[in-house]
Amino acid sequence: MLKNPFVTGRNKTVYIYVGLVIVLLLFPLVVSSTFYIHILILSFIYVIAAGSLRLISTSGQISMGHAGFMGIGAYVSIYLSKFLGVSPWISMAIAALITLIIALIVGIPFARLRGIYFTMITLFFGLGALSIEQLFSDYTGGYSGIAGIPALFSTDSKIPYYYFFLILVTVCLIIMFRLEHSRIGQTWKAVAQSYSVASSIGINELQQRVLVFAIGCAFAGLAGAGLAHYSLVLSQSNFNLLASMYLIVYVLVGGIASFAGPIIGTAILVMIPEMSRSLKDYVPLLFAAIMLIVLFTMPKGLAGLPAQVKGWFHRKNKGNTPKEVINNAS
Amino acid sequence: MLLDVKGLSKHFGGLQAVNQVDMSINSGQIVGLIGPNGAGKTTIFNLLTGFIKPTSGKVFFNDNEITAKSPHIIAARGIGRTFQLTPLFTEFTTLQNVVASYYLHPKSGFLDIFFNTPRYLRNETYAMEQSIEILKLVGLSKVKDELARNLPHGYQKMLGIARALAVKPKLLLLDEPLGGLNTDEITFTLDILVKLRKQGITVLIIEHNMQILGYCDHVVAINFGQKICDGSAEEVRKNPEVIKAYLGEQHAA
Repeated sequence: MLKNPFVTGRNKTVYIYVGLVIVLLLFPLVVSSTFYIHILILSFIYVIAAGSLRLISTSGQISMGHAGFMGIGAYVSIYLSKFLGVSPWISMAIAALITLIIALIVGIPFARLRGIYFTMITLFFGLGALSIEQLFSDYTGGYSGIAGIPALFSTDSKIPYYYFFLILVTVCLIIMFRLEHSRIGQTWKAVAQSYSVASSIGINELQQRVLVFAIGCAFAGLAGAGLAHYSLVLSQSNFNLLASMYLIVYVLVGGIASFAGPIIGTAILVMIPEMSRSLKDYVPLLFAAIMLIVLFTMPKGLAGLPAQVKGWFHRKNKGNTPKEVINNAS
Repeated sequence: MLLDVKGLSKHFGGLQAVNQVDMSINSGQIVGLIGPNGAGKTTIFNLLTGFIKPTSGKVFFNDNEITAKSPHIIAARGIGRTFQLTPLFTEFTTLQNVVASYYLHPKSGFLDIFFNTPRYLRNETYAMEQSIEILKLVGLSKVKDELARNLPHGYQKMLGIARALAVKPKLLLLDEPLGGLNTDEITFTLDILVKLRKQGITVLIIEHNMQILGYCDHVVAINFGQKICDGSAEEVRKNPEVIKAYLGEQHAA
C-alpha cells in the first residue's frame, strides 16, 4: 500500500514532541526557579506567535506585521476584561476571534499583493496598528504602558500559568501541525511554489492566501492576549516593528522549512533578552550576529541540523541529480 | 461545440497581441494552434484560461460563457492546461505534483480534511490511485518519488501534462508539449495524445513542430495576432498565407 503524501501517517517525530511535552510537564517539579519558569512561559507564548508566522510563510507570504496582530489581540482582550469586566478567559477567546476577522478583512486586499509587496503592506499595517492604539491611549496606555490587566489566576505563583500556557501551546501546535500536514497545508505549499500552476488546477489561490493569513493572525492575537494576561503590565513596545522582526528571526534561526523551526528558534532566542538587563540594549545586534552565524553554517536553521549532520555521513539523502533520476528509471 | 471563441482581442497598450480571433472546437478533436514566434498563441491560451482578461470578445465553453472568469473557475469548468516553460510544483515529488492537482475532483471540505474523516481518506485514496494511473499513462511511475525540479526536461514536460489531466479536463490545452524533446520523447508524447482522444478528451495544442499537423483534426493558424487560416491539416499546409508566415514571401507562390 502506497503512502499518500497528503495524509499524515505515524511519524517518528511525534514521539519527540510527546517526550518534550512530558519533560515540560515534569519540569516545575524538579526546577523551582521562578526565573526559568518565567522564561518558559514566555517561550510558550512566543512559540504560538512564531509558529503561526511560519504557518503563513508556508503559502509563500512573509508577514512583517505579526506583532501588530499580537497587539490587536492583546488590546482587545485588555479592553474587554479591564474596562468591560469580561472574564479574561472569555476575552482571550474573543480577542483571537476579532483578530481573525480583522485579518480576514485586511487580508483580502493584502493577498492581492505578492512577495515583497505583501511584506511591505503588512509592515505598514503593523506600524498603523501602533498609531491607532496610540490614539486610544486611554485604553491601551500607549508607550507608557498599561497596568492592572486582569489576571487569569488569582495567585502570585507562576505555576498555574506555566501549565495553562503549556496546554495552550500544545493545542495550538497540534492544530498547526494538522493543518500543515494535510491537503490544506499542501495546497498552501502548492500556492507558494507557483500561483499560476495552482490556479490552473482549480485552486483559488487568493482565497487560500487570505485563509492562511487569517488563521495565522488569529493565533498571533491569541498569543498577544495571553501575553497581556500573563504580564499584567504591558506597553506598545511589545508589539512594535522590532517585535515583528524578532518573530521572523525566531523562525529563520530555527528553520523556516521545518515545523520544529519556530519552536527551537523561540526557545533559544526568547531567553537572551531576559538573561540580563544590561544585555537588553544589544539584543538587535546579538540577534543579527546569531542569524548570520546560523544561516551561514546551517542554511536550514537549527531544526535542519540533524539532517545536515546525517548528510555529512551519507552523501545521498534527498534529491537525486537528473542523471541519477534517469539511471534509476531505466 | 465544446469551445467557441468569438472576436477575441487583447491589446497591450498599442500592441494588438490578439486581434478578432474566431475559433471553434468540437468535442473529441485534436486541434492545432500554429503560428510563428510572437504570433499570439500563448496569449490566446492565457485568455482562454483566464490568466489575462481580453480587451473584447467572448469565450463560450459547453455553451456557458467563461470570458474573463478567474483561472480556478475555468479549471473547475473542465479546462486543463500546461505551461510552455513547464512550471511545476518544483519542491514536490512527481507523485505529489499529481496528487496535489486532484484538488477539484474529489474536493474535500476544510473540516473533513482537518479531522481526517473517512470521507477525506476515501477521497485521498482515490486521488492517489488515479495519480498512479496517470503517471503510468505518461510513463513517469518509475520516478514518482523524485523531486520535480530534479527531473530531466522531457520528464518535466510529461509531468505538466499529467498534472493538467488531474483536473479531469474536457478540454486540455497544451502549450508546446514537444518543445525541447528528443525524437523518442516526441513519438511517446504523440502516442499519449492519441490515447487521450480515445478517452474522449479534446485537445488544443500549440506547437512549432510540424509533425503535430499529422495528428490534428483541425488546425488554426495565426500570425500577428490574427487568424490567417482555419481548416484541415492539409488545407493549412497548402495555404499561401501560412507558407508566407513561416517561410517568407518568395515561397508563397
